[in-house]
Amino acid sequence: MSLEIEEFLHTERLPHIWCPGCGNGIVTAAFLRAALDLGLKRESTVVVSGIGCSSRASNYIDLGTVHSIHGRAIAVATGIKMARPNFTVIVLTGDGDGAAIGGNHLIHACRRNIDLTCVLFNNQIYGMTGGQLSPTMEVGGRATTAPHGHVEPPFDLCRLTEAAGASFVARGTAGHIRQLEKLIKKGIAHPGFAFIEAVVPCPTEYGRRNGTANAPRMLDDERTRSISKAKAAGLSRQELAGKIVTGILHEDTTAPEFLQAYTADARAQAEEASAPAAKEQK
Amino acid sequence: MDNRSTSAVLDSVAAMELWHSHLLREKIDQSSLLVQGNRACALGALDAGVRFFAGYPITPSSEIMEAMAYELPRVGGVFVQMEDEIASICACIGASLSGWLGMTATSGPGFSLMQEAIGYAIMVEAPLVIVDVMREGPSTGRVSAPSQGDVMQARWGTHGDHPAIVLAASNVADMYRLTMAAVRFAQRFRTPVTLLADEVVGHMRESFSPELVGRYRLTSGDFDFTPGYVHPDLAREVHPPHILGSEAHPHVTGCTHDETGFPTNDAKKSERFLHELYDKVTNHRDELCLYDVKNEGKGRVCVVAYGSCARSARAAWRLAELEGLPVEVLHLYTLFPLPIEVIQTVARRVEFMLIPELNLGQYAREVRKLAENWTTVISMGKIDGTLITPREILDQVTRLIGKYESV
Amino acid sequence: MNPSANAPQGVRAAGPEETETPRVSARVGLLADRDFVEVRFCGSGGQGLLLMGLILAVAANHDHRCVVQTESYGPEARGGHSRSDVIISDTAIDYPTLDSADLLVALSQEAADGYTRSLRREGILMYDSGKVTNPPSFPGMTIGVPFTRLATEETGRPQTTNVLTLGAVVGITGVVSVESLTKAVMEAVPAGTTEVNARALARGLALDYAEWMVDSC
Ligand SMILES: Cc1ncc(C[n+]2csc(CCOP(=O)(O)OP(=O)(O)O)c2C)c(N)n1
Ligand code: SF4
Repeated sequence: MSLEIEEFLHTERLPHIWCPGCGNGIVTAAFLRAALDLGLKRESTVVVSGIGCSSRASNYIDLGTVHSIHGRAIAVATGIKMARPNFTVIVLTGDGDGAAIGGNHLIHACRRNIDLTCVLFNNQIYGMTGGQLSPTMEVGGRATTAPHGHVEPPFDLCRLTEAAGASFVARGTAGHIRQLEKLIKKGIAHPGFAFIEAVVPCPTEYGRRNGTANAPRMLDDERTRSISKAKAAGLSRQELAGKIVTGILHEDTTAPEFLQAYTADARAQAEEASAPAAKEQK
Repeated sequence: MDNRSTSAVLDSVAAMELWHSHLLREKIDQSSLLVQGNRACALGALDAGVRFFAGYPITPSSEIMEAMAYELPRVGGVFVQMEDEIASICACIGASLSGWLGMTATSGPGFSLMQEAIGYAIMVEAPLVIVDVMREGPSTGRVSAPSQGDVMQARWGTHGDHPAIVLAASNVADMYRLTMAAVRFAQRFRTPVTLLADEVVGHMRESFSPELVGRYRLTSGDFDFTPGYVHPDLAREVHPPHILGSEAHPHVTGCTHDETGFPTNDAKKSERFLHELYDKVTNHRDELCLYDVKNEGKGRVCVVAYGSCARSARAAWRLAELEGLPVEVLHLYTLFPLPIEVIQTVARRVEFMLIPELNLGQYAREVRKLAENWTTVISMGKIDGTLITPREILDQVTRLIGKYESV
Repeated sequence: MNPSANAPQGVRAAGPEETETPRVSARVGLLADRDFVEVRFCGSGGQGLLLMGLILAVAANHDHRCVVQTESYGPEARGGHSRSDVIISDTAIDYPTLDSADLLVALSQEAADGYTRSLRREGILMYDSGKVTNPPSFPGMTIGVPFTRLATEETGRPQTTNVLTLGAVVGITGVVSVESLTKAVMEAVPAGTTEVNARALARGLALDYAEWMVDSC
């Protein structure tokens, strides 16, 4: 990790618990660089995470951090944002945490278009609990709870969040650090709910059961499978199978943001409520 | 003993363990097996005929789910990993209402999420087995430290006034036979049954001999999964089951209902219904309360214990024998319904009841209510994530008897 | 009140002490005549310690003795040290976790420093003298053997260190019989590696006194 990001790191809490070769550190570093570049302030930035290897990131970040409970990070973050609308609130979550147990909170946050940024570390597996299947695992994948091969199709989280109403949706991979950093930066700056899926390798629990536990090879694989949105546009579904479409996939800066809409409405209500009183005073 | 199902599970264990390549296959020897507590639980469930499992991963219970994931599709059963514990227990209830027996396994945080649905399951009389392998602390706590912090959650976690059947396992053989007992009780009394274990019992591997399996094995007559079946003994107490898709019951509701299955606002009828839910359990304490007394009638102090603390209590009793201290051990396998008579019988004859627990006296409070008329009840709680040692119990015993002597 | 009459058929309360345990193959060594032994393997993650504990436990089980095996789990097992404990007894084991070890096998300096405390005074400390360069002071018997080097010399594969170490442990202490250990090792190792592992095991078992480096007795 570059030195500058130490500014936002609890270096005394290192070494971290992640396995050698785990992609979680790469995404965390990308987030920290984005935070530095944007000039986020410690006193007005809160990082909320759930439970999982990825969610451990909040333990090492020297900003306001909340390591909440499994699946509920977005719900906790919603409360924080509503109480402190001027805070920058970022959710770091995993595919199990954010899309399984917390999936309902995720889609409802998208629907509200509340100004949070959610970075979801997608390793297609439950790392922390020892390799159980996740809702983003592909058909045929192996996990301790899919010992005969997984039969359920995965979520495409970017299409899901877009359909649910998120006004900024992007995907990056741990194999493309600079791009990921840019996407996170754009997401944080975006007014409204920003969802960034970060595809990360988990050599220990995913790799070992699915082809290779070699982290550099897993990163290479992410790079070769990646394809930009523009290039993907011309391809058929079959041609896109197995590809990771990266970049900003959806962006709508005009969509009404929840808190703004709410405050505007509240102001109108207050005015209306005080109007008769004002009349009487006259 | 029917070796087939056992070896099938152990093969699966072997295959699973090989994935966790750092683990060795726990191979069957003809005379004795080395089995992990969680695997023994899955084995008991399969041998008892459980064919539906829905769960969500959580340490230290996940191995139960992993074994079921491997094994169920091979024996005509169904396994699904759901998106959270609320979904898991609801899926089990659905299966149960369709005539299967649903089972799930979790730990404290997941058990908390399940609580509302457990209340519903009690009300709609859905037979379920819930295994809670307890870990330290509220919230995320320490996942690899044992605890017995969920005792009261198992009794009173869900809303409303309700009966509860709660068992507690103390070793690998218990994980097997008490899972079977839980299936049997759930099925007979048509209500959820909770089996409590802790991290040590769930994760440890222990010698587990086929003779033990054979001896503790319930016979096939103990289980009847025919949809709609109610044991003739219980025909007057247990309501006819709701089986979706059959003529027997057209409607299932969590509202207070009468014999038609439809909601009722009639005060008399709803009171009677709720009493019936209670009575079908509490009228059968004799059958439900499993326990074991060591050194019966010979102690001045009785150590009342369950789960892994019962092992410490037994070890303490052996040490006490060597030192000539009069100690008995009441090992409870059933925590609820309260074994009232068992506890009071012992209370009448001993001077002290000592209750070592990995919590701050959750069960001691129950024992105190039952026993304080006759004896002094002392709670010995520990919440540092380690087991209570036999020495600690023995020291406490010595202190009690010594204090008594000097008075 | 009859305590056992209350259980439904088949669900009777009883401990494993009621089963007879036929003794098999003889055990020879420093701890061979103990009816109760507690062994702890410790080192850093990835050294195969859990596997060692498991093999020893399976071997003791093959000896028809009562065994309880526990290990460090989760984050505890990821970083820092990892441990695997085996309790072996002729009668039922009540208290399931290790109280104080009769034998501690340490494969890293950190683990040796951290866990020597868990040894009883008259216990045995065994360590890989190539890894533990600064053995902690301990009043009991201390045995340093360059396990990793021996394994590499014998089979060319450092991965066989744990099997060689188990051979040495059993050769010196006799906590389980050689026959049962061999059986357990062969069940455990991946297909295709039986031959190298058999060599590593034999080398460990055949360790001679001169190789022990007994520091104190
Ligand atoms: C209510 C509840 N259920 C289950 C758990 C156990 N648990 C902890 S982390 C986790 C899965 C995390 O998976 P993911 O979000 O994909 O993160 P990863 O570890 O792969 O980074 C689970 C199921 C819990 N802590 N709380
Ligand atoms: S288990 Fe996977 S996700 Fe967790 S730290 Fe290891 S590599 Fe990363």
